[in-house]
Amino acid sequence: MRELIETALQRPNIVAFVLLLLVGLYIALTHRNLVKKLIGLYLVQTSVIFFLVTTGAKTGATVPVLLDTVSPVEAQAYVNPLPHVLTLTAIVVQVATLGVSLGIVSAIYRRYGSLDENDILEKLG
Amino acid sequence: MTDHLPALAFLVPFAAAVCLPLVGHCRTTLCRPVAMAAVAVMALLSGAGLWAVFAFGEVRYSVSGWEAPVGIEWVADEVAALMIAAISFVAAVSLLYAGSIDDSASRGRVTPYYTIVLLLLSGLVGVVYAADLFNIFVFLEVVALAGYALVALAGGRALMSAFRYLIVGALATTFYLLGVVYFYAATGALNLADLATRLPALLDSKAVLGGLIFIFIGLAIKMALFPMHAWLPDAYAHAPDAVTPLLAGLLTKIALLVWIRIQSWAVLAEPAEQAGTIFAVVSVLGILASVGGALLALGQRELKRIFAYAGISHVGLVLIGAGQGNQTGLAGGLFYLANDAVMQCGLFVLAGVVAALYQARSLEDIGSARIRNPWLLSAFVVVAIGMVGLPPTGGFFGKWYILLGALEAGNYAAVAAIVVTTLLTLAYMLRILERLFRTAGAEPVPASRSATLALRLSMAAPAAAVIGLGICSDSIVSALLDATSGLGL
Repeated sequence: MRELIETALQRPNIVAFVLLLLVGLYIALTHRNLVKKLIGLYLVQTSVIFFLVTTGAKTGATVPVLLDTVSPVEAQAYVNPLPHVLTLTAIVVQVATLGVSLGIVSAIYRRYGSLDENDILEKLG
Repeated sequence: MTDHLPALAFLVPFAAAVCLPLVGHCRTTLCRPVAMAAVAVMALLSGAGLWAVFAFGEVRYSVSGWEAPVGIEWVADEVAALMIAAISFVAAVSLLYAGSIDDSASRGRVTPYYTIVLLLLSGLVGVVYAADLFNIFVFLEVVALAGYALVALAGGRALMSAFRYLIVGALATTFYLLGVVYFYAATGALNLADLATRLPALLDSKAVLGGLIFIFIGLAIKMALFPMHAWLPDAYAHAPDAVTPLLAGLLTKIALLVWIRIQSWAVLAEPAEQAGTIFAVVSVLGILASVGGALLALGQRELKRIFAYAGISHVGLVLIGAGQGNQTGLAGGLFYLANDAVMQCGLFVLAGVVAALYQARSLEDIGSARIRNPWLLSAFVVVAIGMVGLPPTGGFFGKWYILLGALEAGNYAAVAAIVVTTLLTLAYMLRILERLFRTAGAEPVPASRSATLALRLSMAAPAAAVIGLGICSDSIVSALLDATSGLGL
C-alpha cells in the first residue's frame, strides 16, 4: 500500500487526472441541476484530455521541426507531436458536444421553465 | 477509380449535409429530394464498393497519399462493404418512410431533420472505414451527436430522454477515448494493423488491460449492452417515429462493429495466451444480454419498447458469436449484425406505420384496432419470422452460424442461451401477432388514411431484404469467412 502511494506521488499529474475524473463523474451522475451535470461531464472530458497531454510531455526536448537537413536526426531531442494533435481534435469534439448539450438544455428550460431534474420529472407526470 | 470509392461514399452524404441548410433556406420542399438523391447515390456507391471488394479484394485508402502508419488509413474489406450496404439500405428505407408519414411532431423541422440524418450517415461511413482508433473515436462522436439531436428533434417529452442519452453517451465516448490513450501510451500506435503486430504480445501489461476494459465499457454503453442499456428504451420510445428506424437500425450496431474490429482485428489478431479469458468474458456478457433483453421485452406493453428490448437482446447474440474464438462464430456474428440492422429498421418502420394509420402504440391498442392492411400484416409476419430466426430468413442463417460456432467451441451455456432467446423472441412476437390477427371482439377501426405507395414500399423493402439476405447467406458468409481468416483464431 505504501509503495503504491509512493509511486502515485511520483506522478502528480496522474493523481490529478484521477481526481478530476472522479469529481466529474460524481457531479455528472448525481447532481440534479442539468447545467451542473454538464459541468461534471465537461470535467470528465477535460481530465481525459489532460491525461492525453501528460503522456506526451517530455523534459529537455523541443518542437518537432527540423532545424537543418545536414546533421542526422536525433529523435530523442524532439517531442512527439501526435498526442498534441489528438488533444486538439479531442477538444474540438468536446466543444461540439457541449454545444449540442447546451442547445438541448436551453430547449428544456424554455419548455419547462426549470433546470432541476426533479421539477421537470414532476411536470412530465 | 474503385480506389476512391470509400472516400466518395463518405463525401456524398457529407457534402449534401453541408449544402442542405442553404437549400432548405431557399425552399424547404427541396430538402427531401436532395437528401433522397444523396442517399440513392450512396446506395449505388455501396453497391459498387461491394462489387469492387469481391472483384479486386480489399482496398486500403491512404488519405492524401500518406501511407499508414504515418498517415490516416481507411480499409474497405468485405466486412466494411457489407456494413456500408446495410447502412445505405436502412437509410434509404428510413428516408422513404419518414417522408410519407405525416409526423406532426417533426413538422416544421424538415431542414434540420434531413441535414442531421445525412451527417449521421457520413459519420457512420467514417466509423466503418476508419482503420485507426482515433478516427473511429471522432466519427463515433459525430454519429452520437447526430443521434442526440435526432432524438431531441421533436421537442416535448423527448428532450429529457435526449439529455439523459447525451450524458450517458458522452461519458461512453470519453471512456473509449481514455482506453485509446492507454493503448497509445503502451504501444505508440493507433492504426489497427499496426496495433495488431504490437498488442498481442503486450496483453500482460496493466496499461493495455486497462485500456481494453475502458474501451469495452465505452462501447458497451453505446451498444446498449445489458445491464448498461437503460438509456435506450426511453430514447427510442420518445423519439419521433421518423427517427427511430434509423437509430435502432444503426446506432447500437455501429458500436458493436467497432468492438468486433478492435477485438478481432487488433487485440487478438495473433494467438495470445489471454485470448481465452477475453472471449469468455465477451461470451458471458453476450449470454446475459440476449436472455435478459428478451425477458425484459416480454414484460413491455408498448410496441416501440418491445422492439427496443428486442434490439438489446440481439446485441447479445452477436456478442456470443464474437466471443466463441472461432471463425464460424465470428462470421455468423458479423452476418447477424447486418441482418439485425435491417430487421430493427423494419420493425420500427412497422411500429411507426401502425401508430400513424391506426393510432395504436400499445398491445391493447393493436388488439382493438383490427388492422386489415395486407402490406403491413405480411411485412410484419416476415420480419417477425426473421427476428425469431426461422428459415429462409437471414436471421435463421446468422443464428445458425453463431450456434455452430458455439458448438465448435464446446460452449454449451451459449448454445442454451441462443435457444432460450429464440423461444423468448417467439413468445413476444406471438403476443403481437396474436393481437394483430385477432378477429373477434371490438369493432374494426378503419385506417385514418390509406397507405401510400412509398409507405408500402418502405414496409415491403425490409421484409424482402430479410428474405434476400437468407437466400444470399451462403455467399455472404463465405466472404466473411475469407475476411476473418488469418486473424489468430
